[in-house]
Order: sequence, then structure tokens, then C-alpha cells
Amino acid sequence: MLTIDNLCASVEDKSILNGLSLEVNAGEVHAVMGPNGSGKSTLANVLAGRDQYEVTSGTVTYKDQNLLELEPEIRAREGLFLAFQYPVEIPGVSNVHMLKAALNAMRTHQGKKELDAVSFLKLIKEKAELVGMKQEFLYRAVNEGFSGGEKKRNEVLQMSLFEPTLSVLDETDSGLDIDALKIVAHGMNSLRSPDRAMLVVTHYQRLLDYIEPDFVHVLAHGKIIHSGGKELAEELEEHGYGWIEEHACTV
Amino acid sequence: MDGSKSTPVQSDLHDNPQVQPYLDLHDRISGSLSGENLEWHSLWRHGCLQRFADQGFPTARDENWRYTPLRPVLSKQFTPTRELNAVPKITTKPIDGIGHSLVFVDGVFLKPDSADKIAPGIRVESISDVLNNQPDYLRSYLGKSSEDTAHAFSLLNNALYSDGVLIEIRSDVKSDVPLELLFITQTEAALILPRIVVISRAGSSARIIERHVGNPDCHSLTSGVGEMYIEKGAYLNYHLIESASDSAYQVLGNWAYLDADSKLDFHTTTIGGALVRNDLVIDLKEPGAECNLMGAYCLSGRQHVDNFTTVIHSAPHCNSNEHYKGVLDQRSRAVFHGRVRVAPDAQQSDAQQANNTLLLSADAEIDTKPQLEIYADDVKCSHGATVGNLNEQAMFYLKARGIDRDTARSMLIRAFVDEILDKTEVDPIQQHLKSLVDEKMLTFRKFHRSGVSS
Repeated sequence: MLTIDNLCASVEDKSILNGLSLEVNAGEVHAVMGPNGSGKSTLANVLAGRDQYEVTSGTVTYKDQNLLELEPEIRAREGLFLAFQYPVEIPGVSNVHMLKAALNAMRTHQGKKELDAVSFLKLIKEKAELVGMKQEFLYRAVNEGFSGGEKKRNEVLQMSLFEPTLSVLDETDSGLDIDALKIVAHGMNSLRSPDRAMLVVTHYQRLLDYIEPDFVHVLAHGKIIHSGGKELAEELEEHGYGWIEEHACTV
Repeated sequence: MDGSKSTPVQSDLHDNPQVQPYLDLHDRISGSLSGENLEWHSLWRHGCLQRFADQGFPTARDENWRYTPLRPVLSKQFTPTRELNAVPKITTKPIDGIGHSLVFVDGVFLKPDSADKIAPGIRVESISDVLNNQPDYLRSYLGKSSEDTAHAFSLLNNALYSDGVLIEIRSDVKSDVPLELLFITQTEAALILPRIVVISRAGSSARIIERHVGNPDCHSLTSGVGEMYIEKGAYLNYHLIESASDSAYQVLGNWAYLDADSKLDFHTTTIGGALVRNDLVIDLKEPGAECNLMGAYCLSGRQHVDNFTTVIHSAPHCNSNEHYKGVLDQRSRAVFHGRVRVAPDAQQSDAQQANNTLLLSADAEIDTKPQLEIYADDVKCSHGATVGNLNEQAMFYLKARGIDRDTARSMLIRAFVDEILDKTEVDPIQQHLKSLVDEKMLTFRKFHRSGVSS
């Protein structure tokens, strides 16, 4: 589904990703872990197509297309979803209005009929219940005045509404208390299926207690230095990233 | 009446080529203007003409006009229409759900066939009829604007207006259905001098829309004067909707006088016009008066709008609240001048002012200038101005949700302007304004096919 080959990217002429390669297949959940500054968020943003990140070399193939050539909105409509580390507040644009415009843009792109207001409201209310979001948040401006947890919940609401093929979750667990974390994880788990995949970018292991990854990758200095199964996350938690970096150097 | 009883007005500005044509025009048409047989009215007109001749049009040296160059207006000749029963040649989509529309074609008031469609308790009459039938009725109302805040354009209106309309809401009459004054401009180079007098008698409540539309190719000059007298405890909701063509020049002055415990909500929405200047002068004359001035402007091309507001707190315990927001694309330019004067004994005044502008292009410009003159010591006054670009983080967020660039831009622009439009309590007006903004945004899009301008 997703093939990243020798990807190099920079921000403001500072090189962040230095030859990252990764293969994600349908049905798989991959966790990308690493210390601060290792390039985790850069990877997530490059995949979503944020302007400020410049790809200097390498390729990314998503569903047999050159992902890097697609506009961000086309990537989204093709089923790639980025759950933001810092969801943006948009005063004046109601959440429900944005969600409807987004869902219908995706449906149109996928050759499906747009949902009318009634069917949409029915659907969004179901989804809000699933992620434990109070209905009032649907009618407030997008993320405006939401607490950290509410913002993340709103990201997971969108994920369950759009049902993306590939979800990229950028530190979705940061800033969540344990109850919110469980709800968020529940929302994510309910989307696991043989034809979908997830890339979970996280600093800590605790989210992985609730979302069991098939593969864990350690990112340092802009490349993957070690890959393993879910037990790798536990080892990292125990020994820290320093251990794996030393370990990697000796390999 | 013949104009010969008065001495001819001469311009001090020797052979001023900008002023002279209007003096000549006065000589030609003064006999046919309303109220010329009334001495007080004729003297007043004449005084205004003399003042106009003496001071001429403002120049860039005039601080109040510094950011609004008048060259394009003054280089053209405009003449009043001669047609007294003009038929509207352009069709205008009516605003759904509003009451009666009074139509003015090239400034000439088409008197309604029957007045019974107008809400009971509201008198609508042409100013010339009032002057004929009740010669002194308007004596203390007409021409307040010729006092110290007048400028060349309002003086010109005073001197040359041919007719206008009086709207009088009788005491304690409450009318929720808006009354519309629709100004249709259709003749090239027309000089249009609308004159509106609104008297909201004590305890009354009414809503008025003043809407300007026009033929797209019409280079007309509208110089309008509105005078509003809002008596004790009355409420007036006034919507100025400027959707004239992008080749029209419009200078509109509105003067409002508020008695005790009265309230004025004045909304100005500017979408059309090549050069638009709105002077709004509010005098909070007595304790407990309140005004809310809301403005929205969406401009593109080389459009220019100058909102020049003056709020005078003459009495204690009055509130004024002013918020103007606008979006400027391409080479358009806006000016916001917010003058607030708090008189020495106007204690416990509360005056708030804000101006926010979104620039969509590097060539657009906003000049914003608060001017607070506070002579009382127990007051709450504040002002603030912001200028910014479209939020790129928000743009990316929306795009990452599958929403295309143009739609994302429209959503953010609408969200910005809606803060003002949502303050319109009347649903049909709000819908109309929002559809005007949506239409305007289509002209924005054409020019933005590549990245977000900054």
C-alpha cells in the first residue's frame, strides 16, 4: 500500500529525513518511535503534503501512485488521513460544516453520491457517540477552545467518519489522560481491517498498550535504525532510546 | 423660482475647473429644485453652495481625505438625470422576505402608486411634497449635515439635490418588517444626489435598508446625504448595502442624532463601487443613547473604500461599539478612520472600536487610523486594529481533509466576514449579504490559481 524508499526531506534547508525506507501493507499497523527531533513528525507531514517540508530525494508510492506529486487534498481523498499532532483551531467555521464538506469531497472523488444534510447528521452523531464526543462540539468552531483531549478526540472522530485506507497518527496520544487515551484507542481499533493500514507515530509506548502494532520501527537522525515486533516497544520503554542507538551502531 | 434674486456664487478658487461645472449646473437647474420658493430652504442651499465654492473639493493635503485620492472622480463630468419618470432598465433580485421597496432611478424617487403597502404608522413622503404642504416641517431637520462635519460632497448635495424622501416612524410604532430604499443607477455619467431624512419618533422601532445597485458600465457619481433623528427610547436598525457596479463612485454621508435611551444599529456592507467613501457621524446627544456600527467590506480589482466614522459622546452614560472587518484582494484598498470624541461632561462613556482586515494579495492595502479625543476622565474607551493574511495552518488542515484550495479559502474568508454579517438580526438581510459575499469571492478565485499570497 505504501512504499517509502530512501526518503530525504528538509525543513528550511535543515535536513531532517536522511534516507528513510518503509513498507506498509494492507491490514498492518506500524508504530514509528523515536526520540524528539528524530524526524517522526516530519515523516507524518511529508506524507500528508505540507508545503514547508521539502523532499530532496527518494520516492513514496501509495496505492501505485507517486504520492509526492499529489496535492494534499487529493491524498486525503485517496484515503490518506493525517491525525494532527496539533489540530488547528479555525474560528468561524463550524465543525459540522467542515466535516460535511470534507466527507462529501471525498465521496465525490470516490464516485459516491454526496450525503444530504439529514443522512450526514445521522452518521456524524453515531460517530461522535463512538468516540465519546458531546454533540455540542459538532456545532462549535473547528477545535476552537477545545481542550487538548477534545482536539485529539475530534481527530479520531474524523478518522472514523472518513474511514481512511491509510491513517497516519502523529503523536495522537500526547496530551491525553488515560480515559481519553482508551477512547481514542478504541476508535482506532474499530477501524482496523484487512484492507486498511495505520502508521502510528509516537514517543511513548503507552498508546501501544491499547493499539497493538504488527511492527515497531525506531527512527533516529532521520532514518529507521531498527525494526521489530511489538515486543520492541516494551524493550524501548525499559531501556530508552539510547540503548537502541548504541545497539544499532554496533550492528 | 428664478435664481436671480440671489447673487451668483463665485468660486474663491479662481477658475477652479473642478468646482465651476457644478456652479454652472446650479445656475441652470436651481429653478427646478425643490423648496426654492421657501426662504429658509433657499438661503440654506445658497449658503452651502457658497461654502462648496469657497473650499472646493478635498485634496491629498486634507487630513480627512489623505488616503482617498479623488482624481478619478474629479476628472469626470457628471450631470443629474432629466428624466423624471425613469423606468428601471436593470432587474434586481429582490431581497426575500422584506416589506415594501421604494425605488429611486438615477436618484429620482419613483413615488409609490399607493402608500398603503407601507407599514401603518410609517409616513413615507417625498421631501418636495413635504416642503410644499408643510413648509416649515423639515426646517429643524434638513441640513444638520451642513454644520461643521460637512464636506464638499455633502455641501454639493445640499446645494443641488432635487428631491428626496422623508421616512417618519410615528411614536411607539413598532415595525419589524424592513422598509427598503433601492437606488438603481443606470445612466452613464449620472450625478445622483439622494437625500433621506429619517425621523424615529419616541418609543418607535423600525428597520430600513438602503441598497445601491447599478448598471455595470455606468460611471456615475452618487453623493448622498442621510439624516436620522432618533428620539427618546426609539430604535432604528439601518442597513446600508453598497452593491453598486465596480465603475460607480459613491460618497455617502449619514448623520444620526440620538436622544435619551435611544439606540441605532448601523450596518455598512460594501461589495461594489470603484471608489466608495462612507462618512458616518453619530451624535449621542443624551444619556443612555447607544450605537452599534458594524461594517464589512470585500473588495477586489482596484476598488477603494474609505469608511470614515465619527462618534460623538456628547452626554454621559452612552455606549458606542464599532467593528469593521474586511477582505481585500488584488490591488484593492481600504481606509478605516475611527474618530471618537468624548465631551468633557460625558462621564461613564463606553466606546469600543475594532478594525480587522484580511489581505489576500501583496498589492492590497489597508490604512487604519483610530482617533480618540477624550475630554472626560471616567470613561471606558478602547480601540484595536489587526491586519493579516489567510491562516496557512488552517488552509493546510482543511486541505488535509480533502477540501480543495478554493473551497478552503472561501470557508476561511466567509468565517472572517461572518462575524460581522451574523450580527444582522434579520434573516433575509443576512442571507442576502452572505450571498453577495459568496458572489464576490468568485471574482477572488479567478486570480488565485497558485499558492496563498502573502
